[in-house]
Amino acid sequence: MPEIHLDSMLRRFGPPGSTRVDADTVEQLLDELERQYPGLRFKIRDETGALRRYVRVFVDGEDVSGTTGVATSLSGVRSVDILHSIAGG
Amino acid sequence: MPKNSKVRVLLGTRKGTYVVESDAKRRKWKVSSYAHDGNDVFHVVADPRHPGSFYAAVNNGFWGPEVQKTVNWGKTWKEVATPLTPLRKSRPNPMDQPEGAPPAPKPVLNLWHIEPGHMEQPDVVYLGAEPHLLFRSDDLGTSWEPVDSINHYPGREKWSPGGGGANLHSIIVDPRSPNRLYVGMSSVGTFRSEDGGKNWSPVNRGVEAPFQPDRFPEIGQCVHHVAIDAADPDTLYRQDHGGIYVTRNRMDRWTRIGRPLGDDFGFCVASPRADPGRAYFVPLTSSGGMPRTTMVDGHFQVREWNDETRKWRKLLAPSAFPGHYGVHREGIACDDLDPAGIYVGTTTGHLFVSPDAGKSWLLVPYAFPSIHSVGLSNPES
Repeated sequence: MPEIHLDSMLRRFGPPGSTRVDADTVEQLLDELERQYPGLRFKIRDETGALRRYVRVFVDGEDVSGTTGVATSLSGVRSVDILHSIAGG
Repeated sequence: MPKNSKVRVLLGTRKGTYVVESDAKRRKWKVSSYAHDGNDVFHVVADPRHPGSFYAAVNNGFWGPEVQKTVNWGKTWKEVATPLTPLRKSRPNPMDQPEGAPPAPKPVLNLWHIEPGHMEQPDVVYLGAEPHLLFRSDDLGTSWEPVDSINHYPGREKWSPGGGGANLHSIIVDPRSPNRLYVGMSSVGTFRSEDGGKNWSPVNRGVEAPFQPDRFPEIGQCVHHVAIDAADPDTLYRQDHGGIYVTRNRMDRWTRIGRPLGDDFGFCVASPRADPGRAYFVPLTSSGGMPRTTMVDGHFQVREWNDETRKWRKLLAPSAFPGHYGVHREGIACDDLDPAGIYVGTTTGHLFVSPDAGKSWLLVPYAFPSIHSVGLSNPES
């Protein structure tokens, strides 16, 4: 069961610290997080299920946002970081 | 409870929402509240049916659009329901789609305009969004239903965005009937409904689309904003990409009135309740065919159209406020007092006020972020 870390912008809507969620894929992980913390709905993904523009999901340190995305398997994964990229500069 | 005697100007800006207030003289102004720090706020509107209720169309660059509401004149705000794309609820894998399947749905990108419903329907609120979407709430924003008759209008797959996006930015409710509605959409034009939004017809006759092969199409005009004449609601005023127009027959036919101005490109229009037949516009320069989107001749200027005399009037001397100001489509508003107050918020973050229908002007001494929208909360009469 991977350990989930949200950045400070998302922690105001979700768990205040790290948490663990039982999920086979990033999509299932987000579904469960949103079930536990309804304030996260539509903050990470829009209503079509797509990751929002500046959201980056790192699976064991690898950015999967632009590759396998929400379909990424979490089998054997130790950590998932959900962060915002810098939108400027 | 004492009646509210304050005039409040509601500003949606590049970096949040401001409420700026004064007494009925409208000479001295102060910022009374600030909210939505860092958010792009495209529109803030007061609900005259429920004094103290304001809605804000907040568009966050990170986590998308939110409808925010206050019921205490802007002291505190909270997120209420945000409408979701009505085109499809789930997003299937494009690789699994058979050939010829409808394109992947687009999420609601930005919220552009919130409009309280008719006085006879005190719980109805309308909302215009991008891409070219209209929503209706029957419970003061607690939930939203898509207006499918416009959101699925035949041929909409061919509608393209304007420079500011595929926005539905103008919503007007005829004060005589909750059944007569108008909407305006960038690069699409204006539509009218006579049955409360069940059916719609395009109403752009006479409006030129200079960027189309057919210069007078049924649909495809780039309307920037529309205002209704409160004293004669058959009359509406329209600022298009291609000029300034008036209709005196509920949009059955439009007549271009902006040609005497030379430059009649612009974004905003407002019509005061106290002065029937008047409309205020802020033309922006478009020399050489490429709009520069700053005010003509390098100074702040507002033009008054008098529909009785059919004449234009400049409301300011060129020397009053020199500078290259821009103004967005929601950037001008009038209050309901007599004489009318006129309010203009600029892209440079200046808020100009005329408390006497354009005779005199003052600049509110505050450096706002770039202003998207100006709204009014009027004193109770």
